[in-house]
Amino acid sequence: MKLELRRIYIKDLQFGEKTSVNNGVLTVNKEELIAYLKEDKKVKDVKLDIARPGEKVRIIPVKDVIEPRVKIEGSGNGFPGVSSKMAQLGEGKVNVLFGAAIVTVGDIVGFQEGVIDMWGEGAKWTPFSKTYNLVVDITPVDGLDPHEHETTVRLVGLKAAEFVGEAGRNVEPDEIMTYEMGSIHEETAKYPNLPKVAYVEMLISQGLLHDGYIYGVNSQLILPTLIHPNEELDGAVISGNCVAACDKITTYQHQNNAVILELYAQHGKEINFLGVILTPELTTLEGKFRTCDYTAKLCKMIGADGAIVSEEGYGNPDSDLLMICKRLEKSGIKTVLITDECSGRDGMSQPLADTTPEAVAVVSTGNVSHVVKLPPADKVIGNAEAIATLAGGWDGSLGDDGSLSCELNAVIGSTSEIGYHNCTVKLY
Amino acid sequence: MFFIEGTFEDVLIKIRDYVHQGVELVSHPLGASIRILFSPYRSVILGEKNNKINAYHIEIIESSIISYRNINAGRKIDYKNAHDYALIDVELLKVSLKSFKEINNNHINLFGGDSFETGA
Repeated sequence: MKLELRRIYIKDLQFGEKTSVNNGVLTVNKEELIAYLKEDKKVKDVKLDIARPGEKVRIIPVKDVIEPRVKIEGSGNGFPGVSSKMAQLGEGKVNVLFGAAIVTVGDIVGFQEGVIDMWGEGAKWTPFSKTYNLVVDITPVDGLDPHEHETTVRLVGLKAAEFVGEAGRNVEPDEIMTYEMGSIHEETAKYPNLPKVAYVEMLISQGLLHDGYIYGVNSQLILPTLIHPNEELDGAVISGNCVAACDKITTYQHQNNAVILELYAQHGKEINFLGVILTPELTTLEGKFRTCDYTAKLCKMIGADGAIVSEEGYGNPDSDLLMICKRLEKSGIKTVLITDECSGRDGMSQPLADTTPEAVAVVSTGNVSHVVKLPPADKVIGNAEAIATLAGGWDGSLGDDGSLSCELNAVIGSTSEIGYHNCTVKLY
Repeated sequence: MFFIEGTFEDVLIKIRDYVHQGVELVSHPLGASIRILFSPYRSVILGEKNNKINAYHIEIIESSIISYRNINAGRKIDYKNAHDYALIDVELLKVSLKSFKEINNNHINLFGGDSFETGA
């Protein structure tokens, strides 16, 4: 499979007459986009707004972030199985509005937080303070049940990304990234002496606001499955998860999965990258045993010498992470885990809800309990009331000057367990 | 079905008592995100009571209690959004029950009966 991600650098975002890209400036026709999104009969109202890096703007509560793109060659424009017709992804040419993002907001339940600050202290912690964000605030029609509400908001975000991405169809890219990989057999013949490494990407798969989708299939319903890395880079995996703000994998982060990109960069040099195994994180222990056994079996079947395993979320998925690790290490497959820590405000508590002696190589992507102080914003896009949820965590979390203290837990993408974020690891 | 009049932590402690008496843990006591740990509600599925105690289940429930206390130290339970937490709790419970039943073809009885109703 060969996929070209053709980056068009976006340097500004504005509303205007024609949805287009000129000299790196992305212009969006507000009325046209709203009319298009309101074709969905479940959508009552859509508000659009722009947030640029450096502006004193807070976006809350964020549901998902999506990169606007258009496929100019090859099958499957958009998100097949979800917002467009089914097609095989992973091959062809995609024009990417690199530096732009669609950010969806909208309350589905009152305790969503998910903050993006575009300036100051808050901006340091989220990767989406550096993108030019088109914020899509969605109000569905009355009377939808929570599942329909969630689906509506999810689809509107994806459609907005497709609509805006179309502006890049005939624009020459500034940079072309090529991702090409043959069958496991072919790659192993090319690199017979390199260690064979699989990437296991875990997905929260537990119910309302806790789901992920692969070609539109809810990951709750699958056994662990092997996918070509290009398929994920091309939009096969999307987020339906809105409660783990710091460590949920947004659709944008799937489209730009940092583990996949890094394994690609090392492919043929240090390692032979075998592919991606998507593994659901279920709620029942029997379900967890089944998926963890199955994941280890897939790694063995494809002949992995090593595996990188990334988690999504915190709590019960910690058990899956460590069960997978145990099974892989016992099979002789060297395993590196990527997870965030929940180690208390001082960082001194046990970081995970489970542990195993086989977990000998663990990369931390940050402490979700770390407290950050966010000053008041000039402008809030979304629901200002959600800030009360954010600020009300403990006595003294709301300062006299209007600043609020919150844990990184509430900041979108702050401790991304696939490493698409701003924290790094310091060795002592 | 057992209803515990108390907090999330009280539910975890009651589960610990049962697990130490040989009751199986069917669903994991914790959710998949930190935010769910601020919930006033938590439903967990327990299986049959056996003569033998399952050491792994004890490890899970004990670590869950440690994690819960660790994360909620100094925090307030989010009662303001209680209704929404109840909604999500029951939605996640439905998924767990469905998944459990599919795996076991209804062969295993649940501790406290397998029917539940909710006003959420």
